[in-house]
Amino acid sequence: MKFIRPMVILFGLIAVWQTIVMVSGVPPYILPGPVKVVEAAVSHAGLLFDNAVTTVLEIIAGLLIGTIWGALNALFMIEFRALKRWLLPVLVISQAIPVFALAPLLVLWLGYGMSSKIAMAVLIIFFPVTAAFYDGLRSTEPEWLELAQVMNARPIAVIRHIRIPAALPAFASGLRVATAVAPIGAVVGEWVGSSKGLGFYMLYTNARMQIDVMFAALAVLCIVALTLYFIVDRMMTKLVFWQKEENIKEKNNR
Amino acid sequence: MKLKLLMVLFIAAALLAGVSNTAVASEKITVVLDWFINPDHAPLIIASEKGFFKQRGLDVSFQVPSNPNDPPKLVAAKKADIAVSYQPQHYLHVDQGLPLVRIATLIATPLNTLVVLADSGIDNLSQLKGKTIGYSIGGFETVILKVMLERQGLSLDDVKLVNVNFSLLPSLYSGNTDAVIGAFRNFELNQMDIDKRPGRAFFVEEYGIPSYDELILVAHRDAIHNVKLRKFVDALEDGVQYLVNHPKRSWELFIRGRKDLNNRLNRLAWRDTLSRFALRPGALDRHRYQRFAEFLKKQGLIKKVPQLDTYAVELPGP
Repeated sequence: MKFIRPMVILFGLIAVWQTIVMVSGVPPYILPGPVKVVEAAVSHAGLLFDNAVTTVLEIIAGLLIGTIWGALNALFMIEFRALKRWLLPVLVISQAIPVFALAPLLVLWLGYGMSSKIAMAVLIIFFPVTAAFYDGLRSTEPEWLELAQVMNARPIAVIRHIRIPAALPAFASGLRVATAVAPIGAVVGEWVGSSKGLGFYMLYTNARMQIDVMFAALAVLCIVALTLYFIVDRMMTKLVFWQKEENIKEKNNR
Repeated sequence: MKLKLLMVLFIAAALLAGVSNTAVASEKITVVLDWFINPDHAPLIIASEKGFFKQRGLDVSFQVPSNPNDPPKLVAAKKADIAVSYQPQHYLHVDQGLPLVRIATLIATPLNTLVVLADSGIDNLSQLKGKTIGYSIGGFETVILKVMLERQGLSLDDVKLVNVNFSLLPSLYSGNTDAVIGAFRNFELNQMDIDKRPGRAFFVEEYGIPSYDELILVAHRDAIHNVKLRKFVDALEDGVQYLVNHPKRSWELFIRGRKDLNNRLNRLAWRDTLSRFALRPGALDRHRYQRFAEFLKKQGLIKKVPQLDTYAVELPGP
């Protein structure tokens, strides 16, 4: 059942799509049907794969750097109260500026290679991680902290053994959100200027009016995003195994 | 008393509206431009400002797209009557089955150039070896580069191509590219002078690209027998005629009510664009269109050379 349901949803959506295309007679340059898109994907598989590799690398690098950077931000803010007062507004401002507006500048500063795309992804990724992790760190059970105080624990030890483990479930949900939005950063970067990647390939095919190939690239991007999300989700469930148990317990109690 | 007056006014207004409606039973035409209003569109704007459309009972409105690739698709989907398109792109659209036909020409020469910074030391295309070149339109612009480079005994593998998505001058100024294709000779070169970063242009038609119409007007295949299109093109001809006869007065008309257009770049571009407008917008140079189709076929951009009448026409008289 676990796998059947998503499959049914997926094929249901594709069937609806094909029906719309067939019934409305909408020409392929407005909306190509799934059959045409699959054909395009097969005949352009090599190019799609090459470009997907670039985008995947950008997303993974963005995720790694963004997660580390996001986690460090949260830790710093919890450790140094004074810093928090200065850092928090900066972080919020950084999110208030739409990446679409920043993208052209980042490309000019960092060049048309991968680094500008990674920077864009980092910019999108780090904030959900920071926000969630910081919230988690802040809401440690007061009894545990009191216990640590009673036992005369050093501040580093409190962070390492109490606050971080207690905040991991929050961190995990932040990371899940970040993974879901990560592809946006990379693709926006590619749209502004690039010579490789799925976003680049979509621009190229759009200019050549190969709308079916463009949809194929879009589909590959979706698959990449879903796979990444699935992997990160599994990793997080493993990492914070106790949260899962609690959930199960909760469920059983009900 | 007040109510009565209001009612009289209301009836009068209704009557007036009715009268004016019957007097100018105007036909609506929506034109999607390729870009923000700029001097390239002068004949259209002048025809509108001088009332040449209205004289023929046409009510023409202009729309500005957010992406220069969109207008032909809007016309193909019958969401607009006329789109400003580019002759080279037009072949790709037709090749992909878009039911579009060129009905008039706005700019009768290429505007596209390959531009480098004047102080870059590149004064010969062979010096592009190993350099980074920026472009915006996949397909046609890479073919232009390929042909231009092949003349110098180079190939696309000798340069690094990067899609800068219309951010031409910033990429050039910042040193991220050494040359860009897609710079318009009447705009980008003037902008570079204004920015004190003068450029050097290589005109594509002097380096092996057959000459073509940079800006054309396309309509839906089903609409070409509609008399309103013929009227539209006639009005456009009046517009371009007035424009070349009275360039100064035309400029005043162009910026009337569009103060934001009154800047140095547009004044310089106006001067440089005057000589490039199609003086006979409705005329079709059949050989030239056929020659370009064969060029694109040879370069592998289109699958087959289309029958000329299916994608470019001289509109029939009324």
